[in-house]
Amino acid sequence: MKEINDLNLPENIKYTEQHEWAKKDGEIIIVGINDYAQDQLGDIVFVELPDIEDSFTQGEEFGTVESVKAVSEIYIPVSGEIIEINSELEEDPELVNTSPYDKGWIVKIKPSNLSELDNLFSKSEYLNMLKG
Amino acid sequence: MNFQFSIFKSQLPIVHDLGLTDYNEVFLLQKKIVSDKIAHQNKQDIILLVEHFPVFTLGKRGGMSNLIVSKEFLKSKKIKIIQTQRGGNITFHGPGQLVVYPIINLRKLKIGVADFVNFLEQIMLETCLDFGIKAHRNNKNHGIWVKKNKIGSLGLSIKKGISFHGFSLNIDMSLKPFTWINPCGIKQISMTSIKNELKKNNKSHINIDMKKIKQSIIKNFSI
Repeated sequence: MKEINDLNLPENIKYTEQHEWAKKDGEIIIVGINDYAQDQLGDIVFVELPDIEDSFTQGEEFGTVESVKAVSEIYIPVSGEIIEINSELEEDPELVNTSPYDKGWIVKIKPSNLSELDNLFSKSEYLNMLKG
Repeated sequence: MNFQFSIFKSQLPIVHDLGLTDYNEVFLLQKKIVSDKIAHQNKQDIILLVEHFPVFTLGKRGGMSNLIVSKEFLKSKKIKIIQTQRGGNITFHGPGQLVVYPIINLRKLKIGVADFVNFLEQIMLETCLDFGIKAHRNNKNHGIWVKKNKIGSLGLSIKKGISFHGFSLNIDMSLKPFTWINPCGIKQISMTSIKNELKKNNKSHINIDMKKIKQSIIKNFSI
């Protein structure tokens, strides 16, 4: 397990209490799970993705990741509609471990209320929560 | 990783021994406890100890393809197949197998899923050792093994940082139903039990009633 100070937590993205991340890219939001989550889960063997056009409200379960015989739910950081899924994860789920913020992104959503991003943690707020 | 101390720092979980109980009944109880723990983060962790009536369960990603007898055959034996949301593949539960459901707030204990699985495997290893059986992990396949035979299996779900489902340890049971499946999705795997291993080592005189196994499991959760 990584020490908190060794975690890779980029500054320009938002974090959730359940260890997902959300990145604003123009009008869309890219979503994944962060370095802390992938490290705590261990080797990921399967990512269950939602369907395109599925809609979720903030905090709702939108998929699962399976690692070491455990299925963990993942939760959507902001409400909206799924417009793209990372289908590479169907073949290579371990991308979530090796590249959580880049090749291991999970879904892209069209947010229904961008101001929900303000409810999420900044890097320093997230770190405080982890340490708390 | 070697756990020198229990993951439970101050407050040990409450243990409920449910005896021989239907799979679905215990599943509903787990769901209820999980929701309650999500709503009330300070609720004490709970461990359910149970034996199930004969049942096959599938993991979230299935396992039906690893059933090697027909559904009709299982029907004739009056054994159901239940789809679950846990990790892992197909398995069998039946009387004489101890099933342990630790419903634990992993987030509060600051323990990751991978470490928790390791901890549960350690409990199974220590319990086998308490009865003179040296079991081991297998790097490729989780669960615990005695030589090439599997004796303990696990499959978990995690909801908002709370674990449910759990592990099963074969104590003194009919292993026949495991030959009707590829347990955990692995072909040509054979299963064993504590009773079986004691017999192999000419230690059949060692008494292995379920009560002693449960005491050993509880002890190993707390050290």
